[in-house]
Amino acid sequence: MEVLRIENLSKVFGAGRLEVQALADVSLSVAAGDLVALLGPSGSGKTTMLLCASLILEPTLGKIIFDGQTIFQKSGWSGGVDIRRIRREKMGFIFQSHNLIPFLTARQNVLFPLSLVGIKGETAHHRVMELLEYMEIADRADYLPALLSGGEQQRVAIARALANNPRLILADEPTASLDTVRGKKVMEMLKKIAKENQSAVIVVTHDVRMIEGFDYVYHLKDGYLDHQVS
Amino acid sequence: MDLAVYDLKRHKGRFIATILGVGLLFTIVLAMNGLYRGNIHEGLATIQATNPDLWVVERYRGGPFNETSTMPEFYHYSVKAIPGVAKASPFIFYTVERQIGDKSRHFSIIGYEVFGGLGGPQKVHAGRNIEQAHYEMVACTKLGLKLGDRVPLGLHTYTVVGLSREAVSPDGEPLVYLSLPDAQEVLFQKDNEEVRNQRERLSRSLARQSSLTPQSAEKLLPGLQPDTHIINAVLVRLRPGADRAEVARLIDKWLYFSVYTTEQETQLMLKGRLAGMTKQLLLFRTLLLIVSVVIIALVIYTFTMEKIRSIAVMKLIGAPNWVIIRMVLEQSMLLTVSAFLFGLVLIHNTYHLFPKTILLVPGDDLVTFIVAVIGGILASILGLSQALKTQPALALGGQ
Repeated sequence: MEVLRIENLSKVFGAGRLEVQALADVSLSVAAGDLVALLGPSGSGKTTMLLCASLILEPTLGKIIFDGQTIFQKSGWSGGVDIRRIRREKMGFIFQSHNLIPFLTARQNVLFPLSLVGIKGETAHHRVMELLEYMEIADRADYLPALLSGGEQQRVAIARALANNPRLILADEPTASLDTVRGKKVMEMLKKIAKENQSAVIVVTHDVRMIEGFDYVYHLKDGYLDHQVS
Repeated sequence: MDLAVYDLKRHKGRFIATILGVGLLFTIVLAMNGLYRGNIHEGLATIQATNPDLWVVERYRGGPFNETSTMPEFYHYSVKAIPGVAKASPFIFYTVERQIGDKSRHFSIIGYEVFGGLGGPQKVHAGRNIEQAHYEMVACTKLGLKLGDRVPLGLHTYTVVGLSREAVSPDGEPLVYLSLPDAQEVLFQKDNEEVRNQRERLSRSLARQSSLTPQSAEKLLPGLQPDTHIINAVLVRLRPGADRAEVARLIDKWLYFSVYTTEQETQLMLKGRLAGMTKQLLLFRTLLLIVSVVIIALVIYTFTMEKIRSIAVMKLIGAPNWVIIRMVLEQSMLLTVSAFLFGLVLIHNTYHLFPKTILLVPGDDLVTFIVAVIGGILASILGLSQALKTQPALALGGQ
């Protein structure tokens, strides 16, 4: 089942002589359970692509369909669509620098997205512990992020991204701050999540060593989606 | 999930330091409130305790407390003769600085007619009222005197026969009650050297008059000595059923004095002597509240700016604006309310240590609390605007 479809998406920053074409006529389709890598050097448009896919950045042209619902068409957001609600209920985010909320413990960080959708009490607690155990970090549940190692923080971040059983997980350079061994472990977890949870996973990375076993690999160069490797 | 509390727990030290700092400012604001009330209370205490039906003072003067008023003592007989007047008592009030024990003390003296006259001490909590014409006094406890103490004032020594807690002058100075002649003597009686000098000055002035022989000038001298039978006001008690306005009109018309009711006398004080201090205190209170709000605003702004990336993450994962607004507002409120409570507890435990009377009124505390809460909400606007402007893209390294 298709989770995300992007059709002929363009994004232009600035105007006139300062105009920059960040994305040019990009099309992409991701289905449930797909593990997709977006490769490209710095400035190729990876982050812009991720921002558009996560419905944060408004594209200049094109179409975005998420979970069967048209979110963006031609040059504007579709009326009546609560984008933040889609993000909190159907999307999960993993960041390059894990971006855990520093004043919340690991447990509270995972609990936060659940509290946003109204899951509380024993149900929430059970779900949080289940995720922390799944990510093998349950013994650190009450630690603040500052007391966790980089790998542990990234595992908590993944647990947080999984909290709401998202349809789509967007990961921005999730291994950039980790060594190779830990990086590969994180990628293995993402593969496992895609298959077991039937979530679509889009990973933006510039590290080709990390994409072994991915279903689709797209290459972005100067805003163009150059080719696709399956 | 209470994000504000979790964040503050992480910044306990700074939070507590801010509470202490802002709390001390609130303490001063509350002390100023108390000082304002105390100032009004003390300013009006003597007027309200004395509470005659009418105050008769020198014409066009707002005396005896708000402005100097002098009149010859015998005029109280004239006032007494006005139809409707039951009692007319001479009254004198002035401030002195004299040696009491080994300390120089600043205090006020009231002289009144001790045998049935108006204007004497209302509440004597230890000892008794003055019961003889001379050399007895009732003193405010603030002077540190005990019953039976003997206090030299001028040429004579006075025995403390009564103590009163409420006896304070409109300036907040301790008050001493004396009989009218004693009070006049303490005020006007000069020492022998000064009397001789004064006589000599008068003698020289008379000698310059060509129409007077030295012998006739010498005869005139005793009659030209300053009159010490001076009072500041006449306090009037009316007969039952007498028309206060009519009696006042008659005194004004026949005797050329100004007449005030106790209410008018109170207003004279409020609009005159007490007005400046009241405005001053209001200004201080306003400035301190503004300073408190600015400090809270800066602290909340700093707290918010430190969390700006976390706020971007929250927005990215779909947190609605109210979650962020609640977090910032709650921190501001926690800070404001905690600081206020600290200030409130501190002032209620230390007000008695202030040299001036601090009169704490629950209504004032409540109004200050409401103003502080409104200030706290305003203080969070700066942080809130930054938080709401934050783009979720910041979490992904975008703008």
